[in-house]
Amino acid sequence: MSRLVLKNLTKKFDDVVAVDHVNLEVEEGEFVTLLGPSGCGKTTTLRTIAGFYVPDEGEVYFNDRLMNNVPPNKRNTAMCFQSYALFPHMNVWENIAFGLKMRKIAEAEQKKRVQKALEMLSLVGFENRKPAQLSGGQQQRVALARAIVTEPDILLFDEPLSNLDAKLRVQVRVEIREMQKRLGITSIYVTHDQDEALAISDRIVVMNQGRIEQVGDPHTIYLYPKTAFVAGFIGIANIFTGRVRERQRNRLLLDAPFGQVWVQSEGMEARVGEEVRFSFRPEDMVLYREGMANRIRGTIVHAIFMGDSTDLFVDVQGQRLRARGGNVAYGGDVLKFRPGDLVDFGVEETAFRILI
Amino acid sequence: MDQKKDVALIHYLMILPGVGFIILFLGSSIFITVAQSFGLISVTGTSRFTLLNWKTLWERETIDSVLFSLKMGVLSSVGTLLFAFPVGLFLRKGGAGKRFLASLIKIPLFIPALVAAFLILNIISYHGIVNEVLLGLGFIKEPLRMLNDKFGWGVVAIQIWKNLPFVLLIVSASLASIRDDIIDAARNLGANNWAILFRIYIPLAMPGILVSMILMFIKAFGDFPITSVAGPTYPPSIALRMRNTATLFQEWDKAAVMGVIIIVTTLFMTWLYSRLAQAVEGGNP
Repeated sequence: MSRLVLKNLTKKFDDVVAVDHVNLEVEEGEFVTLLGPSGCGKTTTLRTIAGFYVPDEGEVYFNDRLMNNVPPNKRNTAMCFQSYALFPHMNVWENIAFGLKMRKIAEAEQKKRVQKALEMLSLVGFENRKPAQLSGGQQQRVALARAIVTEPDILLFDEPLSNLDAKLRVQVRVEIREMQKRLGITSIYVTHDQDEALAISDRIVVMNQGRIEQVGDPHTIYLYPKTAFVAGFIGIANIFTGRVRERQRNRLLLDAPFGQVWVQSEGMEARVGEEVRFSFRPEDMVLYREGMANRIRGTIVHAIFMGDSTDLFVDVQGQRLRARGGNVAYGGDVLKFRPGDLVDFGVEETAFRILI
Repeated sequence: MDQKKDVALIHYLMILPGVGFIILFLGSSIFITVAQSFGLISVTGTSRFTLLNWKTLWERETIDSVLFSLKMGVLSSVGTLLFAFPVGLFLRKGGAGKRFLASLIKIPLFIPALVAAFLILNIISYHGIVNEVLLGLGFIKEPLRMLNDKFGWGVVAIQIWKNLPFVLLIVSASLASIRDDIIDAARNLGANNWAILFRIYIPLAMPGILVSMILMFIKAFGDFPITSVAGPTYPPSIALRMRNTATLFQEWDKAAVMGVIIIVTTLFMTWLYSRLAQAVEGGNP
């Protein structure tokens, strides 16, 4: 087990800066997800931690040891690849035992550990199968077994679930998380799937264009996004720019494109006349009730039934807003909406987030 | 129904030129060769069944020729592979000069074996470029015997030069099909370069290695032009002896026996290859 520290980590490919001065500290046993769109530098960061790339600038530390020039085979990390990267010419047992063989672990100990890993990932009985004879989910479990059996200091996951179907993905991510908790191995997990990141992580690092946008636990990342990118990438958000019209202690009255709204200022030093970016979630745009701070009247453009909820696309003074209502919690009210209906929505002032 | 029959007929007509040619000419000539080795369908004497021709199998000269050809086959295939494999590994990843190297190495592919043999002759013959230069510089007092040497190194050298691109083509194709993330996974699990070579690259390229070695063996075993130019004065390769037996000594039936030896050896190697390939692909310890 190791603490991982990245200091000013920078990696360039020719003129393209893939990772741009990234600073991150990951505690022992922590599960941290690097989340971002493709090309944001998350995989490059992961591969630099694994040692496949040498940083152009900055440092990688495992505990207090500088790792910049340590080759991948001497790092004691274990990586789960998107394609699983199982050795096609070896059977399940040989695949799992590979890392132990390379470490010259005694035969008896190898046997013990492989057996344990097989049991842990319910692969008993598949020892003699070749990877090609396994389903995607089984291959994924072999990849996991192969990684944990070496007792790595850091586990690295490179979009390990993206080749599985939706149901299996949810099941395996729970398995990964449970196993990681049980073993207490520091883990770095790369994904572009925000649901996966929210579900599995102790902390999420949102990356964009090689930089870190925000670091926080899933709760904070979703409820308190700091930038428009984070608000827009994780979940759905209504993001607008408004001019400050009036200021009262900790609340601001904003002139937004869809009308005036009262917004909690959260210590923002915005002066009257200044422009601020703000966001709010579709689920915070509820049916208006008496006493709510903001009333927003809009016309339903689309109502999309999602099973447990209904997604509404609402036109408010020419602006497109998103609202979402749970079908059970709202007594089926949202189910009744049809395109063209005029509806009064309400948003509490605490639901707004001022963005950088 | 009728349409289905028509389609089937068209399919048969399509394969007829290729397959028919093989069956007609290859089948008949193999049949004639085997028959002649037993004295039947003879072109020189009266046709009658005999095992006498096969007595040549016990003659010192035939045995020497077969052994020499086997030796050339094995050394050429192993030698070519040893030269081709590192190049294939380099071409897989590549760096500066990858394309230049890839085209340079293909040149021998376009030069016929006999021409290749004569080209190399100029370089390594008794009064060839290498010997003249070494003599001129005073490194040696007498020219080195590199061509028509007793062992056959000259033949092996030319075989390797000539067939390197051919073997490289097969080997690098199977090396190129190994995915990068498998190499990354091995390194990540602690494998050093040697372990990656012996546990990943070689086993995964094994089908290509086997097929190129077998084809190379068959080529070198049955070789005529290169041994006739660069081979030792004795023994001749089995193909060379077959030609001599037929045209110089006019013993066509005996030559047929040698033809059968070449065919049988080739078939045996092909069978061996299929067994090995099976063991590599489906093999579990």
